[in-house]
Amino acid sequence: MKKVSLVHLKPNHKGKVLEILGGMGLQNRLMGMGIYVGKEIAKLSYIGLRGPVVIRVDRSVLALGHGMAAKIIVETE
Amino acid sequence: MKKIYLIGNPNVGKSVVFSRLTDVHVISSNYPGTTVEFIKGYLSLGDEKIEVIDLPGTYSLESSSSAEEVAVSLLREYPKDEIVVVNILDSTNLERNLLLTLQLVEEGFPVIACLNMCDDAVHRGVHIDIKKLEEIIGVPVISTCAVTGVGIKLLIDRIKEAKPISRKKLSHDERWKEIGYILEQIQRLEHRHHYLREMLEDASVRPISGLIMATGVIYASFKIVRFIGESIITKITDPFFYGTIQPLLEKLSIHWQEKSFVFHLLIGDLINGKIDFKQSLGLLTTAPYIEFGMVLPYVISFYFVLSLLEDIGYLPRLAILLDNLLHRLGLHGYAIIPVLLGFGCNVPGILSTRVLESKRERFIASTIISIGIPCVPLQAMIVGLLGVFGGFYVGGVYLVLFIIILILGFILNRLLHGYSPEFLLEIPPYRFPPLAMLARKLYFRVKGFVFEAVPIVLIGVLVVNILLYFGLFDMVTGVFAPVVHGLFGLPKEAIVALIIGFLRKDVAVGMLAPLALSAKQLFIAATLLAISFPCIATFIVLWKELGVKDLIKSTLIMLTVSIIVGTMLNFVILR
Repeated sequence: MKKVSLVHLKPNHKGKVLEILGGMGLQNRLMGMGIYVGKEIAKLSYIGLRGPVVIRVDRSVLALGHGMAAKIIVETE
Repeated sequence: MKKIYLIGNPNVGKSVVFSRLTDVHVISSNYPGTTVEFIKGYLSLGDEKIEVIDLPGTYSLESSSSAEEVAVSLLREYPKDEIVVVNILDSTNLERNLLLTLQLVEEGFPVIACLNMCDDAVHRGVHIDIKKLEEIIGVPVISTCAVTGVGIKLLIDRIKEAKPISRKKLSHDERWKEIGYILEQIQRLEHRHHYLREMLEDASVRPISGLIMATGVIYASFKIVRFIGESIITKITDPFFYGTIQPLLEKLSIHWQEKSFVFHLLIGDLINGKIDFKQSLGLLTTAPYIEFGMVLPYVISFYFVLSLLEDIGYLPRLAILLDNLLHRLGLHGYAIIPVLLGFGCNVPGILSTRVLESKRERFIASTIISIGIPCVPLQAMIVGLLGVFGGFYVGGVYLVLFIIILILGFILNRLLHGYSPEFLLEIPPYRFPPLAMLARKLYFRVKGFVFEAVPIVLIGVLVVNILLYFGLFDMVTGVFAPVVHGLFGLPKEAIVALIIGFLRKDVAVGMLAPLALSAKQLFIAATLLAISFPCIATFIVLWKELGVKDLIKSTLIMLTVSIIVGTMLNFVILR
């Protein structure tokens, strides 16, 4: 088990959200979109050059800015 | 019951349901945030007429963007027992959609749940037990497919069944657990192979395949817009104007004396003894030709392609790829949506900057749109007049505008206080809209253009002709001559066109036609028309959206940029 941020999680890998480093505002926003501690997330791609990270949560695909993705820490194999 | 509110996550088809319920047409697209303000309509229920309100999409009742705030505050405007809340959900994604439903029910709103996109769910192997869901959450649940109209009648029939029920208020964690428990009981997922559609969806958000696809889509879009536009002009409008209208006008005009006031107003000047639709500048000649013969064909072709891209759901993918670049300009990827809408007309473009969260982003985006994004009417005229000198010049105008956007955005990002919020966007699946939906949307957009543009064009040409006839422009041209002639190298007469640009850009370019400008002069004048003052309609929207202070700031930026760019083009680049 490794702890990494969503930016460093490899594309096509899954991870379980361990921690969201951010204020209540960000946590609430992510919560509304189905991202919360304990949730399993799959990373689809990373655009590179500090671009967005694309993830799959349940059946929806979400794109997160680089800074936001760096604040989401997941646990992966 | 006094009011019906439609609420739901972004991009679940609220606007389509709204159009079905009220017969009011609203633009719907396959991306989150098409509706940025609330829209009203009426539903006839027996003898009653009840107001229906389409709210912007929201993920939860704890709002986090300005559009969400609008939704949540409106919902609390009336006592709960006087309203009905129609909660629209995306059947393919109940996991996330049910959060809002539970919140609404817990808060004691009379809710009716509408599981939309039922056809898509079947396609994707999602089977939902509607009856059981109704039992568990305790409010009426209906399965609909608003795009085709399935289930809408049942929804209307059952609206009155919505009653507040008491349900324990849960914490966030408990609520997610509850949703998991509900789904276990009511949802069955069929395992399927990856289809081509899913493969294309994934490919478009990966860096390399995504860029290749984006290049292809943009190139194809340009080609299709040009092809359709040109085809309409050569096959339909030009034969009509030259074959039918011209002989008719020539017969008519025998009755008026050339150079008389009436002749001057209606026909304008004869060029080599003949009516010239591009140069005569009359109310019956150039005015209709500009709008119907040059601009309308491109309005149709542009909105056809834009509507198609919108409904398929490609645009948010473009936003992901451009996020990087746009961050340098103080925006984030989603700003591409207002920018693309701005290419049609700056007004809806600036309105849709509401999808951006901060005031700072909205200022940058609105200023960039009004300076660097030429609307379809302006582009059509530039292609029509400058294109005669070769595609090189037309491409040059776009290149100059693009460079201006980059430099200006970079500077504004450095100078303005604050920061750009991060990008967080749901990427919709690809959907293929029924052709009838697409045709309807195109029809409403084109109709909107005709009704808004034509009166202004006719009045504009009328006023200009009167002013020209009595020589009233001479005074104004005298004042601006040093700048326009001295700095930009344009003849005095071009000043009239630049002023008319404040009224309508297409007419303004049309005014340049009779001046016999050189390619360089036409290039400079066309570029200046794009970057200087926006037209009056855009100006009013800027005022409403930004407020007076920021409008003045934005205007000063426009004037400064115009003077710098005009002078540079004249003395340095095109020397």
